[in-house]
Amino acid sequence: MSTMTINGRVAPLPDDLDAMLIDVVRSDLDLTGTKLVCGAGVCGACTVLVDGAPVASCLMPARAAAGKTVTTVEGIGAEKLHPVQKAFMVHDALQCGFCTPGFIVEAAAFHDHWRATRGTATPSRDDIGAVLSGHLCRCGAYDGIFSAVAAACSGQFDGGDIVSPRVEARDKVTGAAKYTVDIRHEGQLEGVILRSEIAHGKIGELDFAPALALPGVGAAISLLAEDRIVRFVGQPIAAVAASDRKTALAAIAAIKMSSEKLPSVIGLDEARKPNAPVVFEKADRKKAGNVSEGGGSPAPWKANIRGPSAAFSLKPKLVRSWVESARQEKNPLLVEGVFRTGTQSHTCLEPHATVAHFEGDRLTVHASTQSVFHLMELIAKRYKLDHDKIRVIADHVGGGFGSKASLGAETTIAIDLARAANAPVRVAFDRHEELSVTGYRPASEVRIALLPSEQGGLKALSVTAYADTGAAINSTIATLARLIYPAEGKELADFDVISNLPPGAAFRGPGGPPMAFAVEQAIDEAALRMKVDPIELRKRWDTDPNRRRLYEWAQGLDVWRNRKSPAEQTGRYRRGVGIATGYWLYLWQPGSKVEVSVKGGRLIASTAIQDIGTGSRTVIANTVAREFGLEPHEVEVHIGDSKLPVGPGSGGSRTTASVVPPTLLAIQKLKAAIEKNAKRKPAPGSNAPWRELLAASPDLTASGVRPEDSNQTAPGVESPLKQVGILGWIFGKMMRWMSNMVIGAGVPSSVQVIEVEVDTWLGHVRVLNVHTGIAVGKIAAPALARSQAAGSVIQGIGYALYEAREIDGRTGDTLSGGLEDYRIPGIADTPVIDVHFDEAGFDHVLGGSVGIGEVATVPTSPAVANAIYNATGIRPMELPIRPDRLISALKGRAAA
Amino acid sequence: MTPAMTTEFRAAGTDLSERRRSGVSKGPLMDIVPASDISGMNWGADGTLRIGAYTTIAAIAADRSIAAAYPGIAASAQGLATPQIRHLATLGGNIAQRSRCWYFRNPHIACLKKGGTDCPARSGNHLYHVAFDLGPCVAPHPSTMAAALLAYDATIITYTRSGLSIPDVLGDGSNGTVDNLLQPGEMIRGIELPKPLEGERAVYKRAISRAYAEWPLVEICARAVINDGTFQFIRLTAGGIAPVPLRLKAAEGAVQGKAANALNIEVAAKLATSGAKPLPMTGYKLDLLEGVVRDVLEKLAA
Repeated sequence: MSTMTINGRVAPLPDDLDAMLIDVVRSDLDLTGTKLVCGAGVCGACTVLVDGAPVASCLMPARAAAGKTVTTVEGIGAEKLHPVQKAFMVHDALQCGFCTPGFIVEAAAFHDHWRATRGTATPSRDDIGAVLSGHLCRCGAYDGIFSAVAAACSGQFDGGDIVSPRVEARDKVTGAAKYTVDIRHEGQLEGVILRSEIAHGKIGELDFAPALALPGVGAAISLLAEDRIVRFVGQPIAAVAASDRKTALAAIAAIKMSSEKLPSVIGLDEARKPNAPVVFEKADRKKAGNVSEGGGSPAPWKANIRGPSAAFSLKPKLVRSWVESARQEKNPLLVEGVFRTGTQSHTCLEPHATVAHFEGDRLTVHASTQSVFHLMELIAKRYKLDHDKIRVIADHVGGGFGSKASLGAETTIAIDLARAANAPVRVAFDRHEELSVTGYRPASEVRIALLPSEQGGLKALSVTAYADTGAAINSTIATLARLIYPAEGKELADFDVISNLPPGAAFRGPGGPPMAFAVEQAIDEAALRMKVDPIELRKRWDTDPNRRRLYEWAQGLDVWRNRKSPAEQTGRYRRGVGIATGYWLYLWQPGSKVEVSVKGGRLIASTAIQDIGTGSRTVIANTVAREFGLEPHEVEVHIGDSKLPVGPGSGGSRTTASVVPPTLLAIQKLKAAIEKNAKRKPAPGSNAPWRELLAASPDLTASGVRPEDSNQTAPGVESPLKQVGILGWIFGKMMRWMSNMVIGAGVPSSVQVIEVEVDTWLGHVRVLNVHTGIAVGKIAAPALARSQAAGSVIQGIGYALYEAREIDGRTGDTLSGGLEDYRIPGIADTPVIDVHFDEAGFDHVLGGSVGIGEVATVPTSPAVANAIYNATGIRPMELPIRPDRLISALKGRAAA
Repeated sequence: MTPAMTTEFRAAGTDLSERRRSGVSKGPLMDIVPASDISGMNWGADGTLRIGAYTTIAAIAADRSIAAAYPGIAASAQGLATPQIRHLATLGGNIAQRSRCWYFRNPHIACLKKGGTDCPARSGNHLYHVAFDLGPCVAPHPSTMAAALLAYDATIITYTRSGLSIPDVLGDGSNGTVDNLLQPGEMIRGIELPKPLEGERAVYKRAISRAYAEWPLVEICARAVINDGTFQFIRLTAGGIAPVPLRLKAAEGAVQGKAANALNIEVAAKLATSGAKPLPMTGYKLDLLEGVVRDVLEKLAA
């Protein structure tokens, strides 16, 4: 048997030809810092050093490591933290942390080589971009990674102690942080799913006997509904639990099955045709998924078209006649267009994963989830179990972006298999599953007509949106155009176009980016035709006080003041500057509860929230620390466990606004109790009175529940739903009753000014600079909020320029099922990002802070598009603005 | 649907491992032993170079002598894949790698290269496929190194044959069932590069949507000798646009022996697409091809 030396010790290597180095590292040696993400050498999460060279351990056969020296992330900082690890911590060069070990390993090797050859010179952004080009981060932590690597190489982290703005950063840079995929119980089996290879069909009898006959197989279960119908490629049919993945895959292949193909229809265009096969008959409509954050409203539904959802319209008939007359009169100010957006996959680097473990009648579920508490409730409801019999745990979650907000197949299947096999079972999706069946932001076709009035006001806005929702409903693209730019009339209609594709899901500001892509370009076009500065026009038409302050800021930017017109540019490379606006709703979750205790002199804050990379741990730690005059790392924060007091889900940008107010209430109560129980007052003039009081305090606990906001708001600060009158009021009540979310007063807003460079020969767009102005109230954790803002921009750049799910239009197969074909931004695609926080506008919220996660990504794609127009005079009508589309537009050729 | 159960050789496995994981490759495997005759580089006294098939892409990319004598080889090696792949992947493996077509890589879909009867990409989604439709399979050949070797008239040595040109090994695209014409059991030992020309320079460029780490939409390896402002020698080879690496002879002809000026370069760029047969979704590759040829010729002329 051959061996390798790994992190200083000798380890045996298996003879199995198909065992990869990552399998040995993670499974045999339990070094789970090394992560499996793409399985194809694209993302770099599995990077380890082999004889000092960074390599993709997911592709390297284990046998090839014989006689070699291997270093994993656990070996990088084994004795003391490597300068690169410290730099990542200080510069907040991470969010969810799932890609971090790979980055650390590569960056540490680069650092060591750089220092040996270049001393303390600072590497350039280009140097760093090239060396880390084989790593992908979905949260978009690249901005911090640039700074961290440069700082470490220049010797800034050679010694001394450091403080990280993110409280769990140390666990993430050392590989110690355990994610759901890393959980392993004694006797745990691996669950694998048999999925439909046809887009629509009826599945016959399943014969599990040949699968169950294989050694190591613990259970095989059917996942079909009573009608045995599958409606998309990838729909689960059956699942198997076995001793390892290889055995489970063999068992899946051994299941005997017949199927009868039914007529299917794929995609937006085909599903709208008159005689298209119908995906959901009336009786089956409840089986459709949901692409929205809320529950959705009733709407007409005929064949595959559900809609119009047009409740937010205002004088729609008048709008139609105004637009029609303007068309007849050839009014040059009437802006019309059909914009198309691509299907964006969440691409969480940690796949959807659940480990289910029954002990007697108690069920422990480790899940990669955006909502530990709500997931517990959903499991209890589905399996008719008491809340106290179920515990959902998520210490760390490798990204969610909306796709892990509910009870997913990975969880129910893990639970069902664990029951059937009478053993703990892990289900972790592979990358193809992740990029095909876990949801997506639906592609859309957005028809827009925008008509200014003769006086220069906004007379009419018409938006009709068709969303390519697959086997799902509830798209709200046009609807969102009601809550910005008041007009004399608005005709807004949303249609879900249902087809035999996997269901879409809520994705970071659902409906927002496609709405903004169309509306913000129409505004830009109107400004051009009216010969008004695009920011001036927005100031004229947009009444929201938060955004008006951001417009003032944007007008002061040099890059905006110095921009040129398209006509001023010639030559191969052209630069342009664009602006766009975005908003999102301010949401919070009623009933959110936080407990703050002093125990043995230490402060502990607890709530059943989870940290999916957004920084909820740190927001709580900072809030508590600030009130007691301590440092955040002195506060223990317990989250990620449904046994803790009820906490909010990480969706709808609601976490900060849900937990900061009850934390403050709990602190107030705890402070009173501490003072009451204090035997001695702090020394007069003490500069750390609470430190003294805490040290002497008996163990005490207090808790707070999220209070209602104050009714006293600044002028113009109101719920955006006010604009919609009684219907808005009803909508707000429905959100509260059905989805447990309150839409508060004030509108989280973002204005972005983006500079691009277009290579007109190769259709390539480089985003050079992004200025993102954000109004979300007081910033609870500044470094982390900056990371969120930058990451939102980077994800928005992906949406604007690179990302599109590609399918086969006949079969419904997802073709972009790997990370080489589904293209998310890399570090070298990252522009220089300037973040401006405007902290006013939310004084009616206790603590003054609301969420940032969604609003910060809404304006990016239209700002990029407007910048491309400014550079080239070409209006990008379709996302992503890839080289194939841009070069075709530049050459006047029809794009495919 | 059933792949032929012939033994596949494995060098570093950077292509094969992904196909094993997905189930596209299921047959028997044989690990290549990195014996001395297939490792490392040997410079001949006559100025030629032999590179062993087992040499890693990173080693080729980092070698200063290669960068000096065959800059197009070095630049191509530096430009492909990612650092973590280049440290593992071998030259032989790069030449003999299988198609990256998303139908081929999907274990549930039949295609010509997996024993199927037709090419699902041709009638389906072929956004990233060929613009020179030379045969039944429309996937571009994935080997960046093969395009570079073609530019240098390199020959390939196997255990049974030698002196094989790139077209001898990769074919002309007319056989859609294979990615190369190596016989069963035939393994690449290395490549031989002829002596470089006096004063030659080279440029490698790929058109992609992001900055790095993407299979090329179009890639060009270009060599030139420019004396007194005239293209004394020019060689242009392209990848990403045809089932095999292509020499762009019409474009070469437009500048060969002519002044290295903008006008001639533009003519050459326009002629680069001579003989192209784009698919419904790949017309854009012709515009990109024109742009990349212009880019590399301008860089050479600068």
